Amino acid sequence: MNPSVIGHSVSRLDIRTKVKGQRKYPQDFYREGMLHAAVVWGAYPHARIVSIDTSEAEAYQGVITVLTHKDVPVNEYGIITMDQQVLCEDKVRWLGDRLAVVVAETETMAREASKLVSVEYEPLPVTDDPRESMKPGAVLVHENRDSNVLGYMPIRRGDVEAGFAEADVIVEGYYFAPHVEHAYLQPEAGLGYIDDEGRVTVICASQWAYDDVHQMAHALDLPEDRVREIIPAIGGAFGGREDISVQILVALAAYVTRRPVKMIWTREESIRGHGKRHPFYLRYKHGAKQDGTLVAIEAEIIADAGAYASTSMVVLANAASFAAGPYVIPNVHIDAYTVHTNNAVTMAMRGFGATQMPVGYESQMDKLAEALNTDPVELRLMNLYEEGSIAITGNPVTNGIGAKEPLIQAALAAGWKENKGHWRAPVIDPPCQPHLRRGLGVACGYKNVGYSMGFDDTSEAIIELRLREDGSIASALIRSGASEVGQGVSTVLAQIAAETLSIPFERVRMALVDTARVPDAGSSSASRHTYMSGKAVLLACQDALRARDAVLREKSGQMRVEGRALFHGRTMRATTPLDPETGQCEPHIAYTFAAQIALVEVDTETGGVEIIKMWASTNCGKAINPAMVFGQVAGGIHMGVGYALTEHFIQQKGWIKTRTLGEYYIPTVLDMPRELVSIDVEVPDPTGPYGATGIGETTTLPTAPAILNAIHDATGVWITRLPAEPETVWRALHGIQTVV
Amino acid sequence: MPILTMLLNGNETSVEIEPGELLADVLRDRLHLIGTKIGCGEGECGACTVLVDGLAVTSCIYPALKAAGRQVTTIEGLQQDGKLHAIQAAFVECTASQCGYCTPGMIMSAYALLNENSNPSVEEIKESISGNLCRCTGYYQIVEAIQLAAQKLAEEGGETS
Repeated sequence: MNPSVIGHSVSRLDIRTKVKGQRKYPQDFYREGMLHAAVVWGAYPHARIVSIDTSEAEAYQGVITVLTHKDVPVNEYGIITMDQQVLCEDKVRWLGDRLAVVVAETETMAREASKLVSVEYEPLPVTDDPRESMKPGAVLVHENRDSNVLGYMPIRRGDVEAGFAEADVIVEGYYFAPHVEHAYLQPEAGLGYIDDEGRVTVICASQWAYDDVHQMAHALDLPEDRVREIIPAIGGAFGGREDISVQILVALAAYVTRRPVKMIWTREESIRGHGKRHPFYLRYKHGAKQDGTLVAIEAEIIADAGAYASTSMVVLANAASFAAGPYVIPNVHIDAYTVHTNNAVTMAMRGFGATQMPVGYESQMDKLAEALNTDPVELRLMNLYEEGSIAITGNPVTNGIGAKEPLIQAALAAGWKENKGHWRAPVIDPPCQPHLRRGLGVACGYKNVGYSMGFDDTSEAIIELRLREDGSIASALIRSGASEVGQGVSTVLAQIAAETLSIPFERVRMALVDTARVPDAGSSSASRHTYMSGKAVLLACQDALRARDAVLREKSGQMRVEGRALFHGRTMRATTPLDPETGQCEPHIAYTFAAQIALVEVDTETGGVEIIKMWASTNCGKAINPAMVFGQVAGGIHMGVGYALTEHFIQQKGWIKTRTLGEYYIPTVLDMPRELVSIDVEVPDPTGPYGATGIGETTTLPTAPAILNAIHDATGVWITRLPAEPETVWRALHGIQTVV
Repeated sequence: MPILTMLLNGNETSVEIEPGELLADVLRDRLHLIGTKIGCGEGECGACTVLVDGLAVTSCIYPALKAAGRQVTTIEGLQQDGKLHAIQAAFVECTASQCGYCTPGMIMSAYALLNENSNPSVEEIKESISGNLCRCTGYYQIVEAIQLAAQKLAEEGGETS
């Protein structure tokens, strides 16, 4: 029997090639006779296309072809609703729309010629604020519809008027959670070619190879088995590689030219060309009794869906289900809207609707704590879910939910003291200068693991075992379509396989994600692979062991066996869609909870905020690889710090003003908390592999609200819109409201 | 077309280039040294960091001809006899890489630091990589890896170059 590999920080499978610089990302592939392609982007946020003239570009030296809408067999795509044109024919709705692809012998030729594509536009009025865009009479983004409102979802539970009547304290607030750019370090790139079997093949970075194949085959009007996608290394994703970027464009170019075609986006194209995290306007009203019990919540949440649907409806459903936070509130009235504008398309980004809500609900919890003169940890613990608590969607929350434990552990680590259920915050060391103020802020967050609300979430895995003569396992190969975006899924799956097969970790390998060779594991999203694909790999290993046992029994002398499993999330918990009138449903398969505490120092002269220390406590169920869990926590906090303080994606009337990494300020090492204490809470999820659940997203949820609450603790002002840049904080300190 | 001759990872290397070409493009597209990554094209993210005569430069904005006659070190030049350099080994040990796209540039910045300063403080380490963006790790394990590498190199008593 081998010692357990679960819970050990084994070296990542991919890390040696990464530190050597040998790992190949899509832009690192070169092929004989390769052409280069460049995009012609729409020149207006909203305009009718009158004509497109490619003749001058086609005549440019080295140009092979210029592709437009006329060259796309079925000119539509989209991850849920196919409402986007691959190459626009009649209208552009945001600056990320594409009109043509120039294919040439070199990248410089393609880029130069792309400037010669002449497009005549008739500019249209722009709608850029969802609160205005949702009103009757607004400029329509999709002119064939009645309204820009893409989705409306109410949640109704109990009697909210009676609830507020019962309340001793009512607090209200209006908050803004802005666009966020994914800013993965590797810009979009792809190489399209025709493989030896005549398949249109694309090498690219994607979170979900099979969905890309589905969309590429649809646009090229080919059977799905004539299209193939290979995913080598991916330079970060965070939701931004769930939607199509270059895939259909290079597939089309290779299909038309029958030569390999490479496309690399510049950083400016990357920022322009993929969607962003949804901005949400959040209006909250909370009621509580004097003893701190929450009795009622009313909220209106409005999301900017941007120009196309992408996953906006699902993000909204998620946001609505998490709008009250991980707290028991019996009387609920929530109205959630997602609305088209001519701003950037908005899409998945780390948290998928669960990240924006705590900016509102966790500020509200601190306002309540202040109004009730109760410790913020104590108020939360009084109301946090317990096993079997009823959520605002009417479902019991079960399966080792571990909602309270992260907060208890974070609070104790940060110096809180508990006495007979009463909590007392620590006294913090004063800052060294009179113009500096220090404060502590607490926040919780939770979200789903796996696809929700009736979606049949599945992951399939194949395990191939090579056997020795005596039937023992020489090595194992995992075939799974799980994209290694950097989160470490390949290592986690290999650890689960090694454990289940009782073989050393070093004997397990993971096959390259290639739709011609691996089954569909679903997307690297919804914090789902440890849970979903972990379970699929575990079951496939058990299947392979049965096959091996049969070989031994039958003495067939077979040296290779295979196991296979298709895991359905619904076998753990069947989910249902939000009821259209009440929102009542069984929303999610599994959950993940986190709590964080921030100690900040505010410079009252400049408005600058420095984070001295953070305590982060995350319920992993089981930390399969603690070093990688720490990496997820620290990375989540990085994004939370950027969300809270530095990242500001600016659009004006649909024009993108933030175009580069020099203008979009993601935290550097100097912007991070000086010290980070990370606590792995292990309340097991009995439905997860070895008790584990996903944590990739939940680690970023509490960071921004914890920082906001700490700024309040330090200064007494509430910052209600992110990012809390020095100017915003300074203005608040001087009593000047920043308009949301 | 001009010919660029440089001492690349210890080997005299000549390559025909266009006059305006940037060092990162020459390394990648002409020499296929793909360990040098391009993340921003404006010297902002540090993924393309290489050493020119011992100094860390962002090769995506560094005119290739400026490297003529100089020593250029890329991530591919760090290993010796197939053995990981102490910084690379420390990155493995500390799980200091996730997506890995910033990793070569991060390691090159650390390499430049440790060549100059064999016993850096945490503040000096942070300063040395403050021009290298990472979107995945939050930097803690990277700082830890550079500290560990410095310690290992001190124990070996060897030079880093």
